[in-house]
Amino acid sequence: MKTQLKTALPLVMGAAMSMTAPMAQAADLEFYFPVGVNAPAVATIEQLTNAWAAQNPQHTVKAVYAGNYEETTTKALTAAQAGDPPAVAVLLAIDIFTLIEEDVIMPISDIATSPEEQAWIDSFYEGFMVDTRFDGKVYSIPFQRSTPVFYYNKDAWRAAGLDPEVTPATWDEMVEMGKKLTVKDDNGNVTQWGTRIPNLGLAGAWLFGGLVKSKGDVLSTDTGTEARFDTEAAKASLEFMQRLADEEVMAPGGITWGDTPKAFLEGQAASIWTSTGNLAFINENAEFDWGVGFLPGGDGPGAPVGGGNFYIFKDITDEEQAAALDFIKFMTTPENQAIWSMATGYVAPSQAAWDTPQMQAYAAELPQALVALDQMPHAYREFATFQRARVTQFLVDAIEGVITGETDASAALAEAQEKADDILGEYR
Amino acid sequence: MTGGLNRIAFTTLAFVLAAVWGLPFLYSIWTAFHPEKYSANFVWNAPLTLSNFAEAWQAAPFALYFLNTVILITTVLVANLILCTLVAYAFVRYRFRWAGFLFSLVMVQLLISPEILIVENYLTLSTIGLTDTIIGIALPYLTSAFGIFLLRQTFLTVPKSLDEAAQIEGAGAWRILWTVYVPLARPVYLAYGLVSISFHWNNFLWPLIVTNSPEVRPVTVGLSVFATVESGIEWSLVNAATLMTTAPLIIAFLIFQRQFVANFMRAGIK
Repeated sequence: MKTQLKTALPLVMGAAMSMTAPMAQAADLEFYFPVGVNAPAVATIEQLTNAWAAQNPQHTVKAVYAGNYEETTTKALTAAQAGDPPAVAVLLAIDIFTLIEEDVIMPISDIATSPEEQAWIDSFYEGFMVDTRFDGKVYSIPFQRSTPVFYYNKDAWRAAGLDPEVTPATWDEMVEMGKKLTVKDDNGNVTQWGTRIPNLGLAGAWLFGGLVKSKGDVLSTDTGTEARFDTEAAKASLEFMQRLADEEVMAPGGITWGDTPKAFLEGQAASIWTSTGNLAFINENAEFDWGVGFLPGGDGPGAPVGGGNFYIFKDITDEEQAAALDFIKFMTTPENQAIWSMATGYVAPSQAAWDTPQMQAYAAELPQALVALDQMPHAYREFATFQRARVTQFLVDAIEGVITGETDASAALAEAQEKADDILGEYR
Repeated sequence: MTGGLNRIAFTTLAFVLAAVWGLPFLYSIWTAFHPEKYSANFVWNAPLTLSNFAEAWQAAPFALYFLNTVILITTVLVANLILCTLVAYAFVRYRFRWAGFLFSLVMVQLLISPEILIVENYLTLSTIGLTDTIIGIALPYLTSAFGIFLLRQTFLTVPKSLDEAAQIEGAGAWRILWTVYVPLARPVYLAYGLVSISFHWNNFLWPLIVTNSPEVRPVTVGLSVFATVESGIEWSLVNAATLMTTAPLIIAFLIFQRQFVANFMRAGIK
């Protein structure tokens, strides 16, 4: 396999690296970051990078806002191919296979070799580490990670005669409770839907991964060469989505990601399935009593995890590598994870961060934030394979085909499976 | 009788099209001037606010970005007008070997989408050390196949007799270009200028990739800060920022539109 040949090189470089690492030499770092949330996140990133630079006056770091995840990856790959890579970048965790295939990143576990550094790598939650590994090496460090949770309007719950402290645990309960929550006006038009699961585009595929996980299967494995679309779990998940529409629990047809929090705030949906990244936004804008619960599951709880990790690039000097590692360690100290998590709503990726006094105070004030943490053991990585963009599109097409009623679940999934196998075959 | 009916039908169609075009614009004005919670509730007495603009303005160094965009599009436009004019003039006025072949090479460029060339262009810029500069953003766009094509076609329509008359009067090649061809092509220059400005005003991916510093980034990069993925979309903020960044373009269009139309009319009468 060609990628294995490629991973031998960083091994050698990494070994050479670890000998020179202890020497603190001046380095100018370029750090690309995407902003997945609103603008204040940019200020927080700058505050943290400036703090690192102040502690390390021999180095400089330039935080470069590089658009959304996709644009940041394009920018980093373009720069790397031109021999001018950033030292460090926050990119999608699931882009690991693309970055390895393009041979632009180096395994962090090859540079971070001291016992303290090993302990640091081990300090992150396992749920967030799954998608940092390939071929026995750790390639990235969790940073801005998120997972979807079930937001619900307690006032709507009360109006429907439901216990406002109980959320549906299973799909059957979701349908049953959802039917009570859907409200129609005198003309028979729905004014409030029971629930809302975004099902269009990449966000739709992301949430779909959670449904499949709750049926005890996964969409992709950590080899990066396997897509599991044509499975009983995937079929059941699609059928559940159709059932929600058929039983008038959820609006039929396509549902966008971006307008979901608004639909919740405006009372058009009594509950929504969306990212923890919305906690702050909903907390600020909700004019009703709201709560957060686990995503209802098929056979048990299940959720996807998403978001971005730190990567270190190849073809930079040893000093830059050492400084980049030090920078990442600084950005992921428990205190800084806590600052970042509170500013954005991303889930702090280690227990140590949740143990900090700031985070404890935050959780006391906004207990909804803790639900995502409790749900973590049931979460699984977002769909990731080699050629991710193309392969994911097959899944997106299958989901959209079914919800718009163009095709049925079995046929759509079988077709997606066939196309995915065509592409992934050559990587096996 | 049918003429009257046709007229009514056309007017109705024009109104419908205008509404289709105008509604999103009206919506963005509505949301930009109202608090977020009115973004999908149209209540006539909803409180007006300017805070969206203030908040959007704070989110990125927009003053700097505006300046950069203006420098960028001025550079590109001036270079385009000069280079395309000269190339088009050469194609029209001089018979030289390979002229047809060279012109078809220029045309082939129209088929290549600029996105494909991003990596190559970046490589070139990085070799000559021009990444992260405004001139670096502008460099690949300094000349334009479309501009050459457009001006060549326009110059071809200039009556040969005008050119010859000028020659008899003793005018040189430069003089002829300046006093005969350029004035006759004014409406085309104006149209091309508008298209070029709006393209470069809106260009996003290339400037994003080739720049790292706020000092050289254009206004579209600032706007993208609002294009959030994780959290919900705050339409009032997005639309305030959008209105703010497109306002100069809209105003410029409104001003030049009269001249634009007038120019076409004059060209038609001649």
